[in-house]
Amino acid sequence: MRRLLLALLLALPASAAAYDRGELVEFNDLYRAGQYEEALDGYRQLIAKEPANQWGWYNAGNALFRLNRMGPAVYHYAKAFTLDPRSQDIRGNLDFALRHTGQKLVPEGAPAALHYFYYIVSERELKALSLLLFWLGCLAWAAGYLLDGNKWSGPACRAAAAAGLLLLCSLAWLGARQSSAFSSAGVVTRAGGTRMLSGPGDNFKTYASAPEGRIVKILDTGDEAYYEIGLPKEGIKGWALKTDIEKI
Amino acid sequence: MRKNFPVLLALAALLCAVPARALLTVTAETDRNTVQIDDNLYLTVTVSGDSASVPEPKLPNMQNFNVYSSGRSQSISIINGKITTSVSFTYMLTPRFIGAQTIPSISVFNGREKAVTNELTVTVVKAAQQAPQQPAAPRQPAARPQRPSPAARTAAVKGERIFLKAETDRKSAYPGEQINISVKFYTSVPLSSNPQYMPPSFKNLISEDLPPVRNGETEINGIRYAYSEIKAALFALAPGPAQVGPATVIAQVPSQDQIDPFDPNFFQKFMAMSGAQGRSMEFTTNLVKLDIKPLPAGAPASFGGAVGDYTVSAAADRPDARAGEAVNFSVTVSGSGNLKAVIAPKFPDLPDFKVFDTMSSLDVRKDNDVITGKKTFTYILVPRSEGRKTVPPVRFSYFDPRAGQYRELQTEPVTLTVEKGGQAARSVNFNPGTPGAPVRASGSDIAYVSDQAGRDSLPLLAGAVLSLPWWVHTGPLALLTLSFWLARFNRFKLANPLLFRFRQARSEASRDIEEAEALIKAGKTNEAVALLYDSFLDYLSDKCGLKVSALTMKKAAEHIKRRFPATSERSLGEIRELWEALELRHYSPGTAGKEGASDLAKKYSLLLEFLEKELR
Repeated sequence: MRRLLLALLLALPASAAAYDRGELVEFNDLYRAGQYEEALDGYRQLIAKEPANQWGWYNAGNALFRLNRMGPAVYHYAKAFTLDPRSQDIRGNLDFALRHTGQKLVPEGAPAALHYFYYIVSERELKALSLLLFWLGCLAWAAGYLLDGNKWSGPACRAAAAAGLLLLCSLAWLGARQSSAFSSAGVVTRAGGTRMLSGPGDNFKTYASAPEGRIVKILDTGDEAYYEIGLPKEGIKGWALKTDIEKI
Repeated sequence: MRKNFPVLLALAALLCAVPARALLTVTAETDRNTVQIDDNLYLTVTVSGDSASVPEPKLPNMQNFNVYSSGRSQSISIINGKITTSVSFTYMLTPRFIGAQTIPSISVFNGREKAVTNELTVTVVKAAQQAPQQPAAPRQPAARPQRPSPAARTAAVKGERIFLKAETDRKSAYPGEQINISVKFYTSVPLSSNPQYMPPSFKNLISEDLPPVRNGETEINGIRYAYSEIKAALFALAPGPAQVGPATVIAQVPSQDQIDPFDPNFFQKFMAMSGAQGRSMEFTTNLVKLDIKPLPAGAPASFGGAVGDYTVSAAADRPDARAGEAVNFSVTVSGSGNLKAVIAPKFPDLPDFKVFDTMSSLDVRKDNDVITGKKTFTYILVPRSEGRKTVPPVRFSYFDPRAGQYRELQTEPVTLTVEKGGQAARSVNFNPGTPGAPVRASGSDIAYVSDQAGRDSLPLLAGAVLSLPWWVHTGPLALLTLSFWLARFNRFKLANPLLFRFRQARSEASRDIEEAEALIKAGKTNEAVALLYDSFLDYLSDKCGLKVSALTMKKAAEHIKRRFPATSERSLGEIRELWEALELRHYSPGTAGKEGASDLAKKYSLLLEFLEKELR
């Protein structure tokens, strides 16, 4: 069993090398030579191959930033951030792009260290951790029933209790993250911003506009052509075309 | 002060209005202002910047010209630690329409700055007419009289008035070896306007235009054709199949329809024909397939993928320097081949120097349809100490496709005389500021792109866990439920041992009977009878809930009657009879014959069936 686990752990880094490194170097050379459009096309190919790889999104964000397309750049950095929130480069560039669009990664008044810890694991990792703790708790409890006769002083039952406690903590953390800026959120990617209408249709009145690159809350996805979006800072909500917003 | 305030304000406004020095510049110029419709002109776009690389200009869509890339040349200068790069991109333009034609603004953008050129206007005149203001422009080289290719002759045999043919100079090559493709457009009728050419797509190949467009006339099978030839150099990327897709030419062809003079609509058709420009026709070439051979084994360690015919040289920008001063050291690879793909040779370890980043400049020529030129890799070397310092030879290898073998070259060693460095030469400063000034952030920028190809283990593990189907996660719950039930069952079993003995009595007795029958077959009748006897007593003990040692025939009968009042006398009689028979055989082994033992086993088996119905 231990050997199997060891083999799995050793196999992980090998399977992690997903991109064709030669391709990536080629696209990075294009980026280096200032051919951002061509580099962007390459990075998009890499994203299509492996959407969960943060570096494709990050590099595409860089190319878009250089092309002065702030909205799509923020969107790509935000995607990279949701996949790997621990990377300093991703955090740095997301913050830089957000500042270009009048926003900040760390909210006003929030301690940076606390913000870092709050986002130290991605939502996917948190969900996976919760599932693993659930597995561990159930297995330890089952072992407790069979080995310790369900006596809470036994080691299996204590392990089950610890796993249960950690599971509750991770679920609470996951719940708290649902209210974070990057959960159920989107980025205005349309150049020049998007119109916020009072209803899902062009016949409704435009009463606000969200600037390009703005991170917005997506409140309703039910309509075919429109999202209902909210701007928490301003306390307003409205309907915007789905083509103007990219969901993170 | 109050009096001077408006003046000061105006001065301040003027100062603000002075634009910041633009670091990125772009200029565009043509080699002449007037060109004949059947001639070409060169457009040179020069981009200059203050970094090692400058962006490539984005050419706008030009409907009035066919555009071909005609090479690029780059120069990098490092003066007092300041890098200036200037790249000239040359394009050949073939006009499509007569009249004043505009080349729109060309823009470049490096992510921070954007620069644009002015619009240019070129006058396109008829073929026979000479440009009035300009001296005669150098004509494109006249096409040599050529033998028409077999494919062209085949097309001509078919009687086609206009056709398009694509041919390569070879069908097989190594990756990186130049293959020339020629696309020829033949016409035996005058066209209404200059045709529009759409180049082919390539698979496993990269292409480099080989301008100019050659025009000429040839005779095939007695038909006089005018032709235009467009050439391109191809370089294969990897071994395996490669292909050139169809090239397309769209031309306005005069209508061939004859008008019947007796047609009632003769005048209407005649007028329509004379006013029309002809009909638009599309001509395409066939798919050209190429076989790309793998490079042979045995490449030297310094081989970096260069294929062609090259020479290499190295030089420093000066023979002597002070310790700590920067010296530009250049390694130049010259020759024919795909120079764009040539990578910097591996620089030897230099303990006497600090080595800084490499910059490369490229100068490509396309004389005689061969891609030649030079690529210069510039290193900045900073001597660490005084004395005579030598930069050892730099090795460069390439594959020579003509000879079919690898060749390794090396540069001559370069010796520098290094004197003791002064105060000013202690460090290299590529952005000189006030000496001793504190470090100040002059701005900020995004971090560079990442070279990391794979994901980290943690996100990968998370992805793997989340990709499992949902029902897999019900597994631990099922296991928990099962273990809960098993634990309860065990507890119940421990609390009710007699009940379980009662329930299992039959199965254990049946197992004993099978074992006894096997012993009888093996001729071990005494052991079989002993087994049956013990088994029968165990069975009665389990059913009565009494210990075997405390079990007598009488006690057993009493217990059975008490616990199972419905038990018939016949059953009790059968029990007694079997008990006695087993006891007799058990304690008098001589009487236990093979047949007798077998009868006892059968009788025991039948009695079990019977008792199981009554002892419930």
